[in-house]
Parts: sequence; structure tokens; C-alpha cells
Amino acid sequence: MSAQPQVLESGVLVLRWRACSWLLAWRPLCVTTLLAAGLLGAVVLALLVGSQWLSPAVIWQVVQGDASSSLLILEFRLPRVLVAVVAGMALALAGGLLQTLTGNRLASPELLGLTDGATCTMLIALVLSPEGSFGPWWVGPLGALLAMASLLVVSGGVGQRGQRMLIVGIGLACLLRAMAELALSQQSLQHASAIYAWTTGSLAGKGTATLLPLAAGLAVLLPLAMLCRRQLALLRLDVDVAATLGVPVRAVQWLTLLTAVSLAGLAVGLCGPLAFVALAAPIIAERWAGGAAMPLPACALLGGMLVVLADLLGRILLPNAELPAGVICNLLGGPFLLWVLLGKGSAGKRE
Amino acid sequence: MTLLQVRQLRASHRQRPVLQGIDLNVDAGQVVAIVGPNGCGKSTLLRCLARLHRPDGGEIRLGGSPLWQLKPREVALRLALLPQALTAPEGITVAALVRYGRHPHQGWFRQWSPGDDAAVRDAMTMTDTLHLAGARIDELSGGQRQRCWLAMVLAQQTPLLLLDEPTSMLDLGHQVDVLECIRRLAAAGRSVVIVLHDLAAAARYADVLLVMREGRVIAQGAPRDVVTPALIRDVYGIEAAVLAAPGDGAPVVVPLGASAIAKQPAVPDTPAMLHAAQLEQEQR
Repeated sequence: MSAQPQVLESGVLVLRWRACSWLLAWRPLCVTTLLAAGLLGAVVLALLVGSQWLSPAVIWQVVQGDASSSLLILEFRLPRVLVAVVAGMALALAGGLLQTLTGNRLASPELLGLTDGATCTMLIALVLSPEGSFGPWWVGPLGALLAMASLLVVSGGVGQRGQRMLIVGIGLACLLRAMAELALSQQSLQHASAIYAWTTGSLAGKGTATLLPLAAGLAVLLPLAMLCRRQLALLRLDVDVAATLGVPVRAVQWLTLLTAVSLAGLAVGLCGPLAFVALAAPIIAERWAGGAAMPLPACALLGGMLVVLADLLGRILLPNAELPAGVICNLLGGPFLLWVLLGKGSAGKRE
Repeated sequence: MTLLQVRQLRASHRQRPVLQGIDLNVDAGQVVAIVGPNGCGKSTLLRCLARLHRPDGGEIRLGGSPLWQLKPREVALRLALLPQALTAPEGITVAALVRYGRHPHQGWFRQWSPGDDAAVRDAMTMTDTLHLAGARIDELSGGQRQRCWLAMVLAQQTPLLLLDEPTSMLDLGHQVDVLECIRRLAAAGRSVVIVLHDLAAAARYADVLLVMREGRVIAQGAPRDVVTPALIRDVYGIEAAVLAAPGDGAPVVVPLGASAIAKQPAVPDTPAMLHAAQLEQEQR
């Protein structure tokens, strides 16, 4: 029960109270705070910028209950921006969990075929519906889950470090994409363009109906992800070492995988493919925060920020048209992937 | 006091039997070395003891309780494992790695107690890694890295340590460092089961030698009684002379090439005979 705070090496602070003790790492804490501020800034910016530019003072007026601009901000821009925040957080968390679990930086929902699974079921729902509309909100997430289930069956479980799962996932993704394209080629132009619009990952017109399931999912899954954090850091050392340190390896692997798939499935299923976020956010967050454990909160905040900014860019880049957020993500994702593969301490290799 | 008891252990790997009828007792403060040719089941035996491989039959008791009835955390408080050829995640510091060893002693509301501090410091002192605390693992040499991993396992403060070839990647100096460290642990009352490739090191540092071939124990006992030319022939299929090391008289195996066998008329067959022969030489 020492009173004075103790500092472990590398800026880790020990907080003690009675017999309890907590560890607090400075650097991840600072990075998380900065990213939270950055996300808030991005959200405010996204609320103000668009076909009609507003001054920052307007936000303050809306907060105070001034009705003149509140329709535009609260009814149109805010839901869409919040969808971008939550989708980005979910994708980044999913990427962070998958990358930690497999020990491979390239493990992302796109690579594992989740996106293509969602596209497939969306397409099936569209073809089956008599009036030619998309199905209910859960169709996309269901597709992602089905893709994951078939992936696990084919690869025979998570495996020691998930390497096999990754390779099977790449194959499965190709197969699903081919199926979707085959089905698409048989559709009327109207159906085809609707599904094509979906596959570009546009947030246009996304509102409360998308936000609610997404936010509810994140509220449940974020605590689960945080619960796995410490155990995941040990799994990263070595599976056998983790097991002899008392980590229930199988349970943690399954819980992590299901959490990641549900997060990614919800985001991709509801918003369409937003590539690059799940890959980039964990890598950047980890580089900034340092340390051995994946900084999940920082990773989520960064993901939210990236999607908000991508959507924002898409809205303002072209004078008379909107670029979907997914397209912006893809534009940024290509160079980033090359940087990851070829850059310093090339991350494509296994750790 | 017997810490670990193994009775009639059987285990298989993908339906292929790997271990048959293994009996083993490990007392507190004892160093048991498992030796044998590649693929004889040494590592599987160690994995069974660490509760990483579920046996087909037989019994393993740890501190009197059946190993498989303990919870993972209880096992983690009683035994620690150092697997072969580990790689740490990039960027992690030595102190952070050693701290992981405290995981079974920690929880949500007990993330770093004074006991954790002491255990980590002791472990790092014992392995001579204290001065490396702030260094990054990936910047260290192979020998330093291995000592850091050993420190992590020691920080777990378990009565039983299971080490899988802890010296295989080290040069002679570091090998001796690690083995001397293991002797000091045993002197402090901890039990060590160690898989070793190097028969000479095993004979020198172990209290009990467990010699395996094709999944069975073919000899077990004090190194001096166990290591004979007949055993070497039996296990490794080579001719060898067994000499007594100067000083402590631990058996030293000298493999004989074809030419050496031709020149050597008779190889003394038991360490006792050899010992007598050497004493005779020294007296002369």
C-alpha cells in the first residue's frame, strides 16, 4: 500500500489503492486522447462542410436550440456523420482484433471474404424481392457471418495462428466475388446499377435506420473486444506460453474471431465495403501508441476519423457529384498497402 | 517430497502412438533431463506435463492433484513452460516481456502488486538481464534473448519449470550460464524438467536422466549410472566412449568415428570400470 506513484520503465504508471493496483501507460493514453480530439474535430468539420457551407458558430447555435440550421445539421448531416463514425470504429476494431489474432497485418475483413459474402446476400435479396428493393438491414451482416462460417468449416477452425484461415479466406473471397458477378451479369440494368452503387461503399442517404443497429452492435461488441485485450497480448507472444500462463486459448480465439466478424459484418453489411480502414487504422494506431498490446480504443477512434474524413472528401472533391466513401478509401488504400508491404520493418511478414 | 508424478502415461499424435508407459517422479529441488534421439517423444512428454497435449491414458499428478482437473490458472501458478525457438512481438521491451510472466498472479483490480515487482526483479537478477530492462528484445543477441525469456518464465514463480531445449541456440558460454542458472534454481527448491539435445550437458547438470527411445523410457536414474557405451549404442546407434569429467566425474560421451573404433582395442563398458581406470591413471 505504498502512497507514492511508482513508474515502471517505458512510461507505465502504477496506480495503487488499498490492495488494488492498475497499470496506466502514458503513450497510448496520450494518443487516445489526441485521436478523440481529432475525431471530434472531424465530426464538426463534416457537419459544417457540404453543398452548403456553414460557419462554426452555427454548431453553437444548434446546441443552444436555435432552429434555423438545425434541420440541415440534425436531420441530414449528423446521422450520416455518426454512421461514418460508428462504421469506421467497428471496421477498425475488427481489423485490430483479426491482425492481433492471426499475427498478420494483412488480415482484414476484405481479405477474409466477409465483404463479398455481404455483397452476395444483398444481391440475392435484391433478386428475390418482387419490387426490386434491398432487403431488411440484417441481410448484409448475415452474408458476412455466412461467409465466415463457411470459411471456418473449410479451413477447419482458427488453427494455431490463423494462417490457414487467411489463405482459405482469399480463395473464398474470389469465389464469392465471381458468384456475385455472375449473378449480376444476369440482372436488369436497374438491379445491376443498384447493387453496383452499394458495392462502392457510399454513405449517401444513410441515416438513423442504419445508425441504430450499428451503434447497438458496437455497444455490445466493444466491451467484448476490450475483454479479450490482455489475453490477446499474451497470445501474440506464443500460443503455448499463453496457455501455460493461464489463458484459455481456444475460448479467447473464438471470442475474438466472433467479435471481429460481427463488427465487420455489421459495418460492411450496412454501409457497403469500406476498404483500407480495417487494414490501416490498427497499423497506424499501433505505430503511434507503441507497446505490445493492440491499442484498441485508439484504433477505433482512428477508424471513425478515417471514415468521416473519407466521406467528407467524397462530398466536396467533385463540384456537382458525390464520390462514395468506399471509393475514396480504395484510392488511399492502394498506396497504403504498398507502404505496409514494402516499408520499414515490412509488416507483411509474420511477427 | 514428490512434486510431479507420472504413471503409465500414453499419448498419441494424429492416431500415431508417441508415448507409451512413461513413469516419472520429480521431487522438489530436482533437475530431471529428458534426452533421446530426434522424434523419440521428448517434446510431446513435456507438452503433456505442461497440459498442452491431452494424454490417451495414464495419470499425471501435480502437487497431488490430477493435472487435468485443475483450472488453467491453477496450473499457471504451479508450472511454467519455456517452449523452443520463440520470437517476441516487435518493439516490446525486455521488462515488458518479463512482466507477462506475472499474468496468472494478476487480475482486473490487481494489475501490478509489490509482489509482482519483487518477482520480476528476482527473475531478472537471476538471469542477469536487469541491465537490459529498457532494451528492445529484437535488438538483443540470441543468448540475451533466451535469458530474457527464461526470466519471464521465472517471474511466474512456479514450483515446477518445464524447459524445452533452452540452450539449443546458444554458444557454449551462454549454454553454461543458462545451465548454471538452472542449478541455482534447483538449489533454491524449484524443480526443473528440461529437454536437452546435448547429452554431455544433461549428464553434467541433471540429478536424474530420463533416456527415451521410440516413445518409451529405456533408462532412468543418476547420470553416472545411466550413461554407458551400451546405452549410447542402443539409443543413438553409434559407438562411443564414456569418460569421466575432471572434477565432478560426470560422464562425458565421446563418439568414436570408424577409424577410432579400429584403433581402440577395448572400450571400458561401464562408467564404474572407466572411473577405476582413470583413477589408476591419475595415481600413476
